[in-house]
Amino acid sequence: MAGVRLEGVTKRFGSVTALDEVSFQVEDGEFFAILGPPGAGKTTTLRTIVGLETPDEGDVYLDDERVTDMWPGDRDISIVFQNLALYPDKSVYGNLAFPLVQQKVAKSEIKRRVQATAEMLHIDHLLERKPGKLSGGERQRVALGRAMVREPRAYLFDEPISALDALLRLEMRTELKRLQRDLGRTLVYVTHDQVEAMSMADRIAILREGVIQQIDLPEGIYHQPVNRFVATVVGSPPMNFIPCTVAASDGALRVQHPLFDVAVSAHDAVLRSPLSDGMPCLLGIRPEDVRVGAAGSDALPATVYVSEPLGGETVVDLQLGNRIVKALAPPTVKVAQDDEVRVSLDLSRLHLFTDAGDAVLSAAGADVFALRPTAR
Amino acid sequence: MAQIVLEDLSKRFGDLLAVGDLALEIPHGSFVALLGPSGCGKTTTMNMISGLEQPTGGEIYFDGQPVSHLEPGQRNVGFVFQNYAIFAHMTVYDNLAFGLRVRKKGPTKEQLDEQVKKVADTVRLGAALERKAGRLSVNDMQKVALGRSMIVEPAIFLLDEPFSNLDAAFRAYMRAELKRIQHDVGQTMVYVTHDQVEAMSMADKIAVMNLGRLQQYGTPDEIYNRPANRFVANFVGSVLINLLPGRYETREGRSQVVPVGADARAIDVSDRRAAIEASPGRDGGLTLGIRPERIRLVAPDSSDATIRAKVSLVEPLGAKDIIHLSFDGQDVRAVGAPGSRPRIGDDVGLDFDAEAVHVIDDETGLVLR
Repeated sequence: MAGVRLEGVTKRFGSVTALDEVSFQVEDGEFFAILGPPGAGKTTTLRTIVGLETPDEGDVYLDDERVTDMWPGDRDISIVFQNLALYPDKSVYGNLAFPLVQQKVAKSEIKRRVQATAEMLHIDHLLERKPGKLSGGERQRVALGRAMVREPRAYLFDEPISALDALLRLEMRTELKRLQRDLGRTLVYVTHDQVEAMSMADRIAILREGVIQQIDLPEGIYHQPVNRFVATVVGSPPMNFIPCTVAASDGALRVQHPLFDVAVSAHDAVLRSPLSDGMPCLLGIRPEDVRVGAAGSDALPATVYVSEPLGGETVVDLQLGNRIVKALAPPTVKVAQDDEVRVSLDLSRLHLFTDAGDAVLSAAGADVFALRPTAR
Repeated sequence: MAQIVLEDLSKRFGDLLAVGDLALEIPHGSFVALLGPSGCGKTTTMNMISGLEQPTGGEIYFDGQPVSHLEPGQRNVGFVFQNYAIFAHMTVYDNLAFGLRVRKKGPTKEQLDEQVKKVADTVRLGAALERKAGRLSVNDMQKVALGRSMIVEPAIFLLDEPFSNLDAAFRAYMRAELKRIQHDVGQTMVYVTHDQVEAMSMADKIAVMNLGRLQQYGTPDEIYNRPANRFVANFVGSVLINLLPGRYETREGRSQVVPVGADARAIDVSDRRAAIEASPGRDGGLTLGIRPERIRLVAPDSSDATIRAKVSLVEPLGAKDIIHLSFDGQDVRAVGAPGSRPRIGDDVGLDFDAEAVHVIDDETGLVLR
């Protein structure tokens, strides 16, 4: 296996810049997810790695070998697309064996590797069947198996499970993660589903309109997003943003809201930030960090707008000032529409953004914010 | 406002029974979700309520009046589909106003203005009234479609997967908005979806369907915490319910079930004794359903541990972790707070209350109570 590296890759289609100076390094054996909405350039990135697209600028490397101009067939990369294509007239065995037959691998070796791959994916009892006789999940396993039967330098998966139904997706998610970990192979995994990226990947690259926003561990993406876009892309329901105003004096920074006032420690990041007195800014707080029914001195008054029970947890939509803030509460919290409640924010999980959405400071567990309700 | 009653409603397409003997009462002003996988008959049911399909058996009543002989246009129902039907070349204002303008006795200019503005505010399009609908984002187009149906104030509002083309963040936002709108407007709403989160979060009652048959009809709390059968237990919940083979035994006058596997402890189910003893599965053929968030991880040697397992995989989701455990070759899922993450390979004990264990008969699929 091999690491995959992109250096300053730009790809244009006519006047559209699909990829804009994209650089990242996938380590050998790493599960690397590229997450972004439709049209972000995820698939173009994969097509560039495999060689189906040639970058206008920049280079692609496998380990330290520059492969930018190499013919796709010579790159030795396996790719699985969302729309799986199996040979309908070949059995599962025939489908799995096909890439090896192409490579003129010895018959006994083909048999051994097909059997091993099929066992790994729990389809060894289906080897004689035709794809038409398989369920959607089984077909997807065969498609994955056909990529995995070879031992290429890297695997590229393009939304391989997004067409499956919800239950099957849950099952395949854990199975793929397990497989990748057990095999230790380099995998670049493209998805628009934040749950897939968060749950499976070692690291995640967030892509938006062809530009990499952040590359980080799942925890880093979640707790220290670099901007509002990244903060919104991961987490369900997404992060709340509360418009506030900056009050700065004598190097001390405070963030003011009609209901409360937050003192911000004189952190380097704050001192470097463009925030100045009177500027609008945003406080970001994830739903699970908003506590409903709090009692302490920092509790704020709110009204229940809607309560959404999900079974294992409840989303409580709160009217806080003139904004709706979503809280994720345990199912034991029972509130009804229009109830008056007290809420508190977990300040160790608070984020401060500029009005334009650039992150200034994420508490990420540290004690950098202090909140005081405004006397009314 | 209208009450809807479906009486033994059936629909056949040739040999295929799309909907079989469906009996359902949808109260005035309630929000009811028809939930199930594709092909379960939910859209066919909706089409029969709207009049797009004729039932092959049974009857539909609106406020006690049979309606299956009525044309769709005579039923006073409003629709929103997955693929928003809007006039792309018209402004948002004209799209919203359309349903009122085509009426025989149209509203005055002032009345129209007032109603369009009110609906536009409700669906958060107040600032976009002069824009061409075709130039809006997909999210906003769906709001136009919603507003168009709302403005004519139908007695019954039917929605068929209206959010499935929207992005996740906007879906979360619209869920709360639609629930609030329905509550404020008070129209009877029937909402078709395959997404259990949408059904759970918004509906007053959920009708879970599979293969044309009603599986359970109840509040979100009942559906989640008291599932009628294996299908419902498995279909609802964002982390898959654990389904472990179990066996039944009586000891010292107590009825108990034991998970099949190495040194598992018995769970007292005396409160369900009669149902279990009358079931075909009592002599082998029971499954124990346990929701992942009801499992507490304790030390492996803890006296609270019902079973012992090894951590095999951790999926961080941000707000929580899904912890996969290997118990006697089976995958068991538990939910953990982020940060308190056990290490892969750790031995842990699993503790859960008897009340959290759903005893399922394998032959009938029913949860025994």
